[in-house]
Formats: sequence, structure tokens, C-alpha cells
Amino acid sequence: MIQVTDLQKVYNGVTVLNIPALTIPQGESFGLVGNNGAGKTTFFRLILDLIEPTFGEVKIDDQRVMRNDTWKTTTGSFLDEGFLIDFLTTEEYFNFVGKLYNKSEGDIAQFLDSMKDFFNGEILGSKKLIRDFSKGNQKKIGIAAALIGDPKILILDEPFTALDPSSQIRLKRFLTDLQTRFNMTMLISSHDLNHVTDVCKRTVVLEKGKIVKDLQTDDDTLKELEAYFAV
Amino acid sequence: MLILNLVIQEWKKSYRSQGFYKNLAVSIMLGLFTLYMAAVLLFLGFSLNEILEKADNKLNPLQLFNGGMLYVMLIGLVIRFAMQQLNTFNLPPYQVLPIKRSLLVNFLLLKPLTSPINYFLLLVVIPFSIKSVVGYYSVAVAVRFVVSFIFLVWFDSLMAAFLKRKYGSNLLSFILVILVFAGIAALEYFKIFSLFAISGTLYGFIVLKSYGLIVSFAMVCAAFGLNKWFFSQNYYPENFNRKMTNDKASTVELSFLNRFGVIGDLISLELKLILRHKRTKSLLYMSAIFLFYGLIFYTKKTYESSNGMLFFVAMFVTGFPMITYGQWVISWDSAHFDSIMTKNIPIRTYLNANYYLMVALNIICFIITSAYFFFGTKIIYMHLTAFIFNLGVNVPLLLLGAMYKTKRIDLSKSSSMNYQGMTYKNYLIIFPIIFVPMIVVAVLSYFASLWVALGTLSIIGLAGILLRKPILNSLVSLFHDRKYKLAEGFREGE
Repeated sequence: MIQVTDLQKVYNGVTVLNIPALTIPQGESFGLVGNNGAGKTTFFRLILDLIEPTFGEVKIDDQRVMRNDTWKTTTGSFLDEGFLIDFLTTEEYFNFVGKLYNKSEGDIAQFLDSMKDFFNGEILGSKKLIRDFSKGNQKKIGIAAALIGDPKILILDEPFTALDPSSQIRLKRFLTDLQTRFNMTMLISSHDLNHVTDVCKRTVVLEKGKIVKDLQTDDDTLKELEAYFAV
Repeated sequence: MLILNLVIQEWKKSYRSQGFYKNLAVSIMLGLFTLYMAAVLLFLGFSLNEILEKADNKLNPLQLFNGGMLYVMLIGLVIRFAMQQLNTFNLPPYQVLPIKRSLLVNFLLLKPLTSPINYFLLLVVIPFSIKSVVGYYSVAVAVRFVVSFIFLVWFDSLMAAFLKRKYGSNLLSFILVILVFAGIAALEYFKIFSLFAISGTLYGFIVLKSYGLIVSFAMVCAAFGLNKWFFSQNYYPENFNRKMTNDKASTVELSFLNRFGVIGDLISLELKLILRHKRTKSLLYMSAIFLFYGLIFYTKKTYESSNGMLFFVAMFVTGFPMITYGQWVISWDSAHFDSIMTKNIPIRTYLNANYYLMVALNIICFIITSAYFFFGTKIIYMHLTAFIFNLGVNVPLLLLGAMYKTKRIDLSKSSSMNYQGMTYKNYLIIFPIIFVPMIVVAVLSYFASLWVALGTLSIIGLAGILLRKPILNSLVSLFHDRKYKLAEGFREGE
């Protein structure tokens, strides 16, 4: 469960994020949409304690994320390439991350086997370093690494961009599957309204750092969102 | 005309790159250092005649210099092999334009020869030839001597570029080169084989005979030809790019580190980082070279009585790799800092791993430099004190300093002589780390005795080692405060 209270981030006198209160219960799939600069990535970084809130706090499972390492055991995330270690080969990277979550080599092999479809035969088995992979494949590697520790909470920033159409469909199916089987909490941002409404049960619209819409996804949600973003 | 355009575009590339104007302080410091070096070399050039006259009474200065010529060539080759940046030039955008390929290749090969740094040693050679060679021989010989030296520089530069392109600069080939060189020096020392004599004869011929320069020039042509041959073999840039980078996926298995849990994993990650980036690798070579720094000082009688200076050298020799690496111990991770902060790595473990890595570097250097123990018991005590002080005080200090370096370090860019991501602040940490203990030793051994000085530093160092836990606790707490600044700085490119 993620609890946000009175969260504000101010850069040079400009408030880029202001969320008075928000609760994301365990097992909810939470979609975040908004135009560039709306504060999506800032919000995710605040949850992951990568930037310091000006006011307020974020709690994961009733513990503040600041000055705390506990939430890291249950949270998997991939925002950008900074979350990869690009001078490793994929196997080295998965082994490294897997071990951080106390996975045995058998566990890791099993996990990678379950990702086979998603990887589409391109990621494993070559001695290529991660920095030599294409953007799309790097994204797949990052998403897989976020999942390797069986997280209770998964945070992905625009997971669908740079993926090919088949991979997008596979990823959607995969995320839905994770929700139903493991009751995983998911925070996903996207510019593609279709993807968000397909995957997420709740959709939140950010604009200039504020929550302007908070919808439970149903048949009308997509239309409502399209109407909102139409210019 | 075309060549001129290429030159202009290269120049634009460098001054339009971001960060060109940023590190003004660093540039000024480098400038001053260059001037200082130039002055030293010039001074050496003017006094070399007298030095060589005293050195040997059978051979005249030019004959001695000629004897050393092949050594100069070899040393130059080794240094260039380790440090010279390959002149990479972004070929593809030019390849599609109607420009002859051979012109591009020639440009690529010959441009490095225009770099003034190549001709730095002429500051020694020209005064020497004016003062000494003209006197002993004639103006013509002096001119040939200078020209032959320029040819030697060209040969070195071209040859190093060829060897690097062909064989890549991994650690193994560097060690091999060093070993070959050491072997030649040893053979010379034990009078089994004299490169000195060969060099003397060869360069005697080149300099004294009017047509001797042909030999020198032929060597340059041969080196140039080898380069051309390399490019003709590797026609497409992707081919030679692969050649240049094929050593990077060499997976090192450091399984012995597995025993140490997450800390071991983090250390092996860091070692991979060092071995798979040019910039860190060249730092490693540099550090290896500085291990020999002691040979210059410990062998000199003049330094025997100045304890402060000797201790400075001891600190330098035992601690240089730790200090160069440790200064940026956190910045090295700048490209994947977010990853480390969000994956399941407790901050304490992360700092501990960096701590132990520096400790390990320190121990390794201490063991390697124990060879200097042959220079006397005083050196043993000095190294031991430096070791303890480094462990207890400098490791935590470096870790502390590293938390204030918020500039992203771009490891992929280039190798040595790369000052990206550095500001004058980076040099400040050197003062408390090396100069303060040096001053302490100098002052205390002057007013009390050397043993009081070394004892004091050892006690401070031991205290630091014993208080490791509380010190680390406060570092962890500080890291929590600094973390956001670091993450923000590392996310910003330059």
C-alpha cells in the first residue's frame, strides 16, 4: 500500500507537484496520464525517494520511504536507463539483481525462462553488453529486472514507448496476468491512453502537478480521457 | 581546401561541445602546469651538455644521447600506447559525401602529429643541439639531430596508433609491453645485450652521415604504411570499431567474491566497471606507473634527511591508486546511481562495499610496494605508517569527499587526460589527504624525532580503524542527506 500525504515538490519557487492526499491500496493497478511536464516522473521519483519532497511524505506499507531501506525489498521499478547497469551483460545484470533479492541461481534461471516470450529470443545468450542493445530491448531488460525480486509494488514509467507492437501486446497481457495471479500493486504511466485503460483499474490524470481526474476504469473512461486531452 | 574544411569542422566539434568553457579553473591549472613543465624541460636542455660531459669521459654528449635514443623511442611508445588517445573521427557522415576515402584516412592518421604535446621534448633537444652538438660537430649535424628527433616522434605516434588499433589496449597487452621493456633494460644492466650500443651506432650513422636521415624517414614511412595497411584491411568503420571494442564483453568471473554476500557482489560490480571502461582502465595504468615513483626518490641521497618529503613519497606510492579511485568512489556509479538507490541495497551496505574496496586497493598497493623495503628500515616504518593512516583516516575522508562530487562522470567518453566532470573542488581533497600528514611528519621530526612523528600518525590511523563503526554510521546518515543532490547531479548530462 502506498500512502501520500500533503506531498509537494517546489523547484525554484515553482510548484511542480502538489498532491494533498492519495492512497493506492495493495493490488490496485494505478495508471498515470498527463502531458509532458505534468509531474508524472517527478511523482514516481518521489515515491522511490530519488528526490527530496519539499513538504509532505510518502509511505509504503506504513513506513516512510525517506532514510529507509525497507521498502526496497518489496518494490520493483524501472523509470529510465539510469535504472540499468549498462556495462554488464544481461545475464550478469539479472544475476546481480536477483542475488540482491536473495534469489538462488535456480530461481533466476526459472524467472528468465518465464520471460522468454517477452524477450522474443533477443535478450539472452549473447555476450552483448546492455549498452549495446537497442532502446526497446533495454526497456525489456529493465522491466524484467524490476520483476525479478517478486515485488509487491511495481513502478514503470512509460513502459510501452520504444516497444514494437507485438511486445506492447505481450507486455499488456503480462501485466494483467501479474495483477490477477500475485495481486501486485502497479503504478504505470503512459502517453497512450489506450494502454493505460487496458491495463489499469484506476486512472489518474495529472496536470501541472495536480490531480485533476481520478477515475475507476470502465467502458466510458477512454472516451472521457480522450475528450479531456482533445485540443 | 577540403583538408582545411575538415580541420575547421574538427575544431568546431571541440569548441561547440558542451563543457568547453565550463572547466576554466581546470584549464588554468593545466596551463600553469604545462608552463612549469616547459620551464623544467628548457632548463634541462640547457644544462644537459654539462650533465652528460660529467657522466662519462669516453663518450661525448651527443654519443651518449644517441645511445639513449632507442630508449627514448621505446619509452615514448609505451607511454603513448598507454595514454595516447586514438584520433577517432566520425567517418560515416563524411563517407557518404564525395570525399576520397584515402584523404580521410590520411587526415585521421596525420592529424595527431600536429598536436603540440608531441613536440614538448624538443624543448630539451633544441637547446642541447645548439649548445652541445654545434660545439662538438657542426651546424649541419645539429640540424640533422633535431630533424631525426622529430622523425622519431612521428614514428612513435604512428606506431602507437597502429598497435593500439590492431591489438587494442587491454591490460594484458600493456603488461606485456612493460615486461618486454623491463627485459631489455635488465639485459642492458647485466651487460648481456646492449641496446645502448645499437642505438649509439644507429643514431651515430643517422646524425653524422649526410644521407643518414633517409633511414629515419624510412622508419616513419614504414609506420605510416602499416597504418594504411590496417585501414585497407578494415575498410568499413564497423569493422575497425569492432576491432577496437572487442575486448569489452570479456566476462571476468570473480566468483571468489561471491562468498562475501551483497558487499562482494557490489565490489565485483565495481571491478567490472573499472575493467570495461576506457577511462577507468587508463586510470589503472596510470596508477601502475606511479607505483614506480618511489624509485626516483628513495634512491637519491638528497632526500634521505628530509623526512617530510620521504613520507610524502611513501603516502603517494602506497596510496595513489586508492586516492585516484577513491576521490570519485560514488561518482563512478553516476550512470546507474538510480539503479543502486532503488534496488534492494541498503545504504550501509553500499557504503561498506565502497569502503572495503578502497581498503582492498590499499592493501594490494602496500603489498606490491613492499619491494621498497630493500631501501632500508626507515622506508619500512614509513610505508607502514602511511598504510595505517590511509586505512584509518584517508579512506573515510575520501568517502566523505566523494559525497560532495555531484557531477556526472561520463565513463564511455574517452581515456586518459580526460577532465570531464572535474572541477577545482576535486583537487582540494588531496590537501588534507597527502599534504597535511607530510607537514605533520616534517614538523614533528624536526622538533621531536621521526619516531614521534610516525607514532602520532599511526595512533591517529589506528583510532580511525577502531572507530570504523561510528564513523561509518555518521557517513550513512550524511549520505541520506546528500543522496538527493547526488542523484540530481548525476541525472544531468554535461
